[in-house]
Amino acid sequence: MSLPKMSRRYDSRTTIFSPEGRLYQVEYAMEAIGNAGSAIGILSKDGVVLVGEKKVTSKLLQTSTSTEKMYKIDDHVACAVAGIMSDANILINTARVQAQRYTYAYQEPMPVEQLVQSLCDTKQGYTQFGGLRPFGVSFLFAGWDKNYGFQLYMSDPSGNYGGWKAASIGANNQAAQSILKQDYKDDITREEAVQLALKVLSKTMDSTSLTSDKLELAEVYLTPSGNVKYQVCSPESLSKKLVKFGVTQPPA
Amino acid sequence: MECVFGLVGNGFAILVADTSAVHSILVHKSNEDKIMVLDSHKLIAASGEPGDRVQFTEFIQKNVALYQFRNGIPLTTAAAANFTRGELATALRKSPYMVNILLAGYDKETGPSLYYIDYIASLHKVDKGAFGYGSYFSLSMMDRHFHSGMSVEEAVDLVDKCIMEIRSRLVVAPPNFVIKIVDKDGAREYAWRESVKETTVS
Amino acid sequence: MKLDTSGLESTAPHFGTSCELFSGFSAAPSFDLPVTTDFDGFQKESIQMVKPAKGTTTLAFIFKEGVIVAADSRASMGGYISSQSVKKIIEINPYMLGTMAGGAADCQFWHRNLGIKCRLHELANKRRISVTGASKLLANILYSYRGMGLSVGTMIAGWDETGPGLYYVDSEGGRLKGTRFSVGSGSPYAYGVLDSGYLISYNTCIRYKYDLSVEEAAELAKRSIYHATFRDGASGGVASVYHVGPNGWKKLSGDDVGELYYQYNPVSTSTVEQEMAESSST
Repeated sequence: MSLPKMSRRYDSRTTIFSPEGRLYQVEYAMEAIGNAGSAIGILSKDGVVLVGEKKVTSKLLQTSTSTEKMYKIDDHVACAVAGIMSDANILINTARVQAQRYTYAYQEPMPVEQLVQSLCDTKQGYTQFGGLRPFGVSFLFAGWDKNYGFQLYMSDPSGNYGGWKAASIGANNQAAQSILKQDYKDDITREEAVQLALKVLSKTMDSTSLTSDKLELAEVYLTPSGNVKYQVCSPESLSKKLVKFGVTQPPA
Repeated sequence: MECVFGLVGNGFAILVADTSAVHSILVHKSNEDKIMVLDSHKLIAASGEPGDRVQFTEFIQKNVALYQFRNGIPLTTAAAANFTRGELATALRKSPYMVNILLAGYDKETGPSLYYIDYIASLHKVDKGAFGYGSYFSLSMMDRHFHSGMSVEEAVDLVDKCIMEIRSRLVVAPPNFVIKIVDKDGAREYAWRESVKETTVS
Repeated sequence: MKLDTSGLESTAPHFGTSCELFSGFSAAPSFDLPVTTDFDGFQKESIQMVKPAKGTTTLAFIFKEGVIVAADSRASMGGYISSQSVKKIIEINPYMLGTMAGGAADCQFWHRNLGIKCRLHELANKRRISVTGASKLLANILYSYRGMGLSVGTMIAGWDETGPGLYYVDSEGGRLKGTRFSVGSGSPYAYGVLDSGYLISYNTCIRYKYDLSVEEAAELAKRSIYHATFRDGASGGVASVYHVGPNGWKKLSGDDVGELYYQYNPVSTSTVEQEMAESSST
């Protein structure tokens, strides 16, 4: 992206508006996310689905965790990340602390929107106070609480957030968002949501064939006994799903 | 001396408090309302030092209101009780509030509930509870006559029994009592039981 | 350079000491510790120094025409009467009075302080502070100093937009709204007269009630103070009576209780002397 010469004078400080009313550092942060592995979240009537694209940087890389984009914040909330992972780790940690503090004070789970808001307050602070750079992270939050049931939120580096029925962050998010807008129907089931998410990702990802080692799938839903559950899909069952939904051909 | 008690009935909780403001041997006032309406569906009755009683219950009330403004949803009774307990616990090792609290509320999901919180910050969910000198009488009265799922009439009847027992057996019995109720329609004053009428400004 | 990241701290849950509602307007007050090796002894001594000043009778009540405020004027230190002309009714502003019981210095200081705050409120808001507001202001200050040795027992009486107002405020942090109060060592005696009334003629009995004229109310207040000074050794001097109405306060009387004794108990000619006069004439 080419910038007008003017930007030079304003882009070294996060706290200063440019004459056109822009905050360049914040925009650059969003730019950084545009290159990151993408993630999609879809709200369904019986749960929330998060799907993420794994960027496999090297065959030699040993990943210690089973997921690199999905994080459990509390028993009833999880998030998917797009952007700089080191930045994200800080925010995930504060989110977890906030959730625990809330349960300590009130002895009940933190309402999802409050958790998202508290995290976005932190993000906002880094766009305003001097000498600090914004967090280069976007989040998709999936959760359930007793007030509003299943919820999906998307947040960006500026600290803006909103509730969505289906949302995407990271590379090609605009393309993904427009497909979601076309194909999303109200009252879809969790199963249909998984299918839609995988379909969208297969179309927007650069790689020709979608395999389970390039993907992550996680779901938040209620068990028959009424407890909230966060479940990450194993590579094996993810492979089966890919075949079942016709996204990839079964291995020969 | 001080008498604060309450119980949970079928779809409601009821709180009773004496209304005397006492300083050593003097009764300064006999129509002091010691039960605060915390929010639309919560009541908080407090006994203890008069300064702490007012300051602490107002502090809790303002924080509960602040929560509702910030988050657009009210605190549940359980959350409010745990928050209150937490504030008492943190104050305990600094400058303790000398207040004992009965917190009653009604929630859509859980129905009516009553919480017993003392000044050393212990919290119990109860279906009947009492503080002060009146507790020696009202507790046994409630142990004998309380049963789960009481109607409002039965509960008020039991409350009146307790008040009569306190008035007849307690040396330093307060003359007047206030009764408040919380149910699905909200928290409100139910009645006064007065044996001495204070002159009031019209 | 140290970065100020205080703005980044989350504001979501109320946790620990986050009494945000309080920190804004009342930072925790404190006293400098006196230079002494025996601090406990010093504290006990200073409390003893303040305590004798509690010997007082003050009262105030609301009635039809406004509020009556009355007090004695004696200051004592143990058995010694240090003054017979203390102004125990403090004029906060033309519409509000405060009474003094407990530590004289504490009362005077905090009433003047309250006077300042009330005036500032008036300048900022272009209207007089309510009695409710003023009394809460004082109660909050006293509460913040609780346990630090202040000794104040006061009534704030006045007239505001809502009509007459009366509050009792003390240094333990208590604040009560009411229609009649009496404070000080003589208060039980004063309450006795105030509550049950007194005889002005053989068949009319005036007791405390709402429907009194200013004259009747003032007389009742004066009588109450008089009877309290009669029985309470720590109260005496002059019984002053103030009235607060819609147009502010006015001092109605200030009578030496010694003279009141003779007013209330006039010397009657002895019948014995008459008999003697008769017998001498025969």
